[in-house]
Amino acid sequence: MSEDHSAPSMGTPDWLIRGEVAMCPCGCIGKRKKGSFVEKTLNGTASIMRQAMFGDDMASRDGLLQRVDARVKVVALVGLLIVAALVRNIPVLIVMYLATLVLASASALPLGFFIKRVWLFIPIFTGIVVLPAAFSFITPGEIVVPLWTWNGHQVGLTNQGLTAVGLIVIRVATSVSLVVLVTLTTPWNKLLAGLRALMVPRIFILIIGMAYRYVFLLLNSVTDMYTARKARQVGNDQGQVKEGQRFVAATAGALFGKSHALSEEVYMAMVSRGYRGDARTLEGFRLTAIDFFFIAGCIVASVLILGGDHLVGH
Amino acid sequence: MHIPDGYLSPQTCGVLTAAMVPAWYTASRRVGKVVKSRYVPLVAVAAAFSFLIMMFNVPIPDGTTAHAVGAVLIAILLGRWAAVIAVSIALLIQALFFGDGGVLAFGANAFNMALVAPFVGYAVYKAVAGSSSLTSGRRAIAAGIASYVGLNAAALAAAIEFGLQPVLFHTANGTPMYSPFYLRQTIPAMMLAHVTVAGFVEFAVTFGVFAYLQRANVPILRINHPDVAVTDAELQRRKLGWRWALIPIGVMVVLTPLGLLAPGGAFGEDAPQALDLGKYGLNAIPSGLEKFSSFWSHTLLGGYGFGSGQHPVIGYLLSAVLGVLIVGVVAIGVVWCIRLLQGRRGDGDGDGHQEPGEAPA
Repeated sequence: MSEDHSAPSMGTPDWLIRGEVAMCPCGCIGKRKKGSFVEKTLNGTASIMRQAMFGDDMASRDGLLQRVDARVKVVALVGLLIVAALVRNIPVLIVMYLATLVLASASALPLGFFIKRVWLFIPIFTGIVVLPAAFSFITPGEIVVPLWTWNGHQVGLTNQGLTAVGLIVIRVATSVSLVVLVTLTTPWNKLLAGLRALMVPRIFILIIGMAYRYVFLLLNSVTDMYTARKARQVGNDQGQVKEGQRFVAATAGALFGKSHALSEEVYMAMVSRGYRGDARTLEGFRLTAIDFFFIAGCIVASVLILGGDHLVGH
Repeated sequence: MHIPDGYLSPQTCGVLTAAMVPAWYTASRRVGKVVKSRYVPLVAVAAAFSFLIMMFNVPIPDGTTAHAVGAVLIAILLGRWAAVIAVSIALLIQALFFGDGGVLAFGANAFNMALVAPFVGYAVYKAVAGSSSLTSGRRAIAAGIASYVGLNAAALAAAIEFGLQPVLFHTANGTPMYSPFYLRQTIPAMMLAHVTVAGFVEFAVTFGVFAYLQRANVPILRINHPDVAVTDAELQRRKLGWRWALIPIGVMVVLTPLGLLAPGGAFGEDAPQALDLGKYGLNAIPSGLEKFSSFWSHTLLGGYGFGSGQHPVIGYLLSAVLGVLIVGVVAIGVVWCIRLLQGRRGDGDGDGHQEPGEAPA
């Protein structure tokens, strides 16, 4: 019986008493500090909140795109994304990207943030991933920068490969800019109502709207659980992979339990207010002059872009 | 695995979105049938949970962290069709509000993560879990393996979508217009990352959550497993159910020849000739009784024995066994008919129900 005292459940957990190895913020004490999963999750949830609040602030500013109806913007977004995807020449895409910058400043968005948001994402995701495609062993073609020979074959950067890399980088930049433009200039509930213009059924609009609300409520639960863990933790948790994974799984499991209980409560609250299973939305859809100008502008721009692309191609 | 806009051609996105439309429609109909007006809050909160599960950073052995997708977990907890909608909505919220994954590529992302992953994962889960009880270790392992396979299936789908781009869409001089890598590059690159790291993260989270719910919240697991035995003991009991019933029936069959030892006839079963007519104040057998008592004499085992009257014990035993078989077959037939009628009425098993192919263990 007395042997039971050595059982792990009886003692203080290791993570609670172990000292921090790399206190130095630069991580110069031998070991690279990779960040605790607890802190990363807390930062992640905080950044979700930050983004949502920032979006609300931007949407309430007085600018060009804020005045355009959400449905018009949603349809224009999809249309322009398709146009951006069909363009085959880098210069045309650059013109399109510059046009998004003009729209951003016309909509009172901070230009620095707008550019950073797009170009911080691209090197991380697109640049590194796509770069190897410039080499002749991935994209064969006319070698413009010869690098070395291997087995008698010239290896280098090809014209085709470089063009492909340039195309995808600028295309991703333009697409992300277009989405950010619409997201930041439209309040989230209007944006959801705008999805009606894409023939999304009303019941889905209702569900997406509720899901979006409850993301933030449940986000608070996550933050609470992780903050509680962080508050009890003295050292860092490197090397405590198993224990950390157990904690994450238990947190996620508890969150699922809470979510389910919440959905039952929400359901009963809805029923007691007369909900019978059908969705209704308030529809006040009136196009103003600015909407028509915007639609006309988008159509003209699309024709010019695709026409220009055709001309540049020849 | 969230594909941004610009990597896939609009044609690819269009085809995959078109493939998702019937899936969304079917999912909506099926889930709606099972949970009725609970549908909206249940799916909305499940979508919020699906969004959040991707927020959880999981520590991995090299000291960094990764995150899980959770599509298979939701399929196991709430059913495949509910997972299709919940994960799709989580992906839509990510694409629209947080710039994670493309808007044009939404159909492709939904195809990989909201259709391929839950369906492949759920099939693996069913196969590995078999008829094990709800709280068994095997079921938790099955959930983990299912999530590993489901995630890798989704990654493979994404790799194929990427790899087809340069083959299908390039300019006259061979410049790829979208994702520039070929299948021989995309498949190894995607699969290496998912087979070695991401798959195990998914395994750890799904297995962990399932094991946690087994310990802490079994009723939640019952939502999608209404007919599965909760404990091994219950499973054992259910398995033995009909076999236990056979024992008393067998004993009774063996004991039937006891009737031969009993003196006299069974009460109220006397043949008309054996009746003491004087006792009832009669001087002849009533004509109706006379006529109908011998109305049917074409029996296989008349008087629970052979017509010749030989081997009365064997005759009794044979009668008992035959009787049990006939009654059993009739009873099973009646139950089968009732099930058939019920099945036709409640056509289209939903996620909350057991699949028709697998009878309760």
